[in-house]
Amino acid sequence: MWKGFCALFKKDCRMLASGKFFLLAVVFLILYTAYVNFGYIRFMQMPPYNVYLYDPAGTQTEASPLIHMVPSIEAMDEALLADANGVGLDASAGDVRVVLYAGAENIDRHRADYALSLLRPSANSTPEVIGTNTPEQKARKEITCELLFFELAAVGFLGIAAVLFKEKSMGVIRVHAVLPLQRNLFLLSKLAVFLLSDLVFAVLLTLLNVGLSGGVVLLPAVLLQTAILSLMMALVGLLCALLLKDFRQFTLAYLIIAIFAATPVFLSANTSIKFDWINFHPFYHVYMGLKNAYFGAAISPVYYIGAVCAIVLLFLLVQLAFRREMEKEG
Amino acid sequence: MIEVRNLTFSYSKDKQALHGLDFTVEDGEIFGFLGPNGSGKSTTQKILTGILKGHGGRVSLFGQDISAGHGPEFFQQIGVLFEFPYLYANLSAVDNLNYFASFYPWQQRRDVGELLEMLEFKPDFLKKPVSSYSKGMRQRVSMARALISNPRLLFLDEPTSGLDPSGAVLFRRIIEQERKKGTTVFVTTHNMMDADLLCDRVAFISNGNIVALDTPKRLKEKNSNHRVVIDYLYQGQLETKTVEARSLEAGIPFAHDEIISIHSQEPTLEDMFIQYTGRGLS
Repeated sequence: MWKGFCALFKKDCRMLASGKFFLLAVVFLILYTAYVNFGYIRFMQMPPYNVYLYDPAGTQTEASPLIHMVPSIEAMDEALLADANGVGLDASAGDVRVVLYAGAENIDRHRADYALSLLRPSANSTPEVIGTNTPEQKARKEITCELLFFELAAVGFLGIAAVLFKEKSMGVIRVHAVLPLQRNLFLLSKLAVFLLSDLVFAVLLTLLNVGLSGGVVLLPAVLLQTAILSLMMALVGLLCALLLKDFRQFTLAYLIIAIFAATPVFLSANTSIKFDWINFHPFYHVYMGLKNAYFGAAISPVYYIGAVCAIVLLFLLVQLAFRREMEKEG
Repeated sequence: MIEVRNLTFSYSKDKQALHGLDFTVEDGEIFGFLGPNGSGKSTTQKILTGILKGHGGRVSLFGQDISAGHGPEFFQQIGVLFEFPYLYANLSAVDNLNYFASFYPWQQRRDVGELLEMLEFKPDFLKKPVSSYSKGMRQRVSMARALISNPRLLFLDEPTSGLDPSGAVLFRRIIEQERKKGTTVFVTTHNMMDADLLCDRVAFISNGNIVALDTPKRLKEKNSNHRVVIDYLYQGQLETKTVEARSLEAGIPFAHDEIISIHSQEPTLEDMFIQYTGRGLS
């Protein structure tokens, strides 16, 4: 049995290599790492809004250097027209008047308070930080978690389906029905290849973006969550490839499934706002499992029970679809 | 080797594919299973090879009832050539064969190089991916895959499909060689020439029933009108006469100067098939 599994595993690796899957994974790893280190982290360190001050009498002596001084009220209008998220402060009439180009009910107060706070930086109290992460560490963990989730949910899933579609079109699945081999090994070897490749990807992405010392401690928990998501998505990919006729049909299903699986990232990443209904979204819990792994938070045993049940159920469905495929006419 | 008694199979309640087939295949026999598309040939072969489950009746292979399911030991003893050459298109012939061979015990495996040489595979293509092969070359690799484990029982579905005439002759020779080694061969085909030249016995299957089963020779003899057509020259004229074969026992029963040719009026296997089933093979 072990020998058969090794032969299947080796063949699946070759199929993936010839399909440029590993190359694609490396390219994604480089892209994600470049985005995190040269884009996202710098972006998160930027001031949230530009503040423009018109103060002809020079009354605001303590103003922060982050404030842009403008020579006239017309110049401030022009600046706000060009930068709609910017905040204007007009100190020409004694009291400071806040000017916004575009209003948004929930954000205006935040923008106004931020702009006014820059007028008297010394008066601001420094809040006590009780968490262990620096803002940069927090940002790194958050974005790494999101990218890993996206990679596993959308990209890896596509890869496994593509491989099986290829085998289906070549008809070789039927040949395995008459080989001295346990049929489940055919599925298990594919799951193993994808699981291994996802785990390696998770290790590299975490170490490159969270940092070596910070990342190593997180790895056991992150790898466990990666394994759960990887297995789920690989099984969904296998099921789609077995049930759908060809890759063209699959592209539509892929869009729906990938968007559905990635919804929690779009709706709940980097924000404390939580929709009531999102608790009913199965991938929200998987996403939170991964996020909790990055931030060292505890994960409910109920989640693990649910995840194991989902994986077993998906495997049984895949097995059924696989047997049906083997019986099909040549 | 194969014993089938009252074999039935239904894909659904109202779609019965097999209606109680009875036949046996002896050790070392080449048995032909002939029928048009949708007659139940593939269903029967899939049941025998363990791909399809849920049949009725009794089927035993290697002396064992297959209802209990097939273990790896069963699959180690059979080789299957499918109608289409199912191979990994991104791998070469050698890699494909090494891969499929790796599931069998090493003592049982044949040498990949020798096998491909026997199948007259072009050596230049050994390391090239299957996607660059012609249909005939793919069929050769598929045949090598079926033979790689030295099977005791060989299932061949349209073995000469996609081959040129010399390739078809080669395949028939190889099948004969296998039989000489003691391998039992179960051939499913549309090709009447293959059936006639290769098979010890053939079964005609139509609408899920076996309508005739015998040696090709006897099937043809049974239905022969025992007449011969003679072309001859008489007084400078080419003439043709059809006479009873028995009437030749005492010599040519008419005046002639020279006999040009004598043809028996024996029906072909295809004629027999049409006679038994009322339909052609294609």
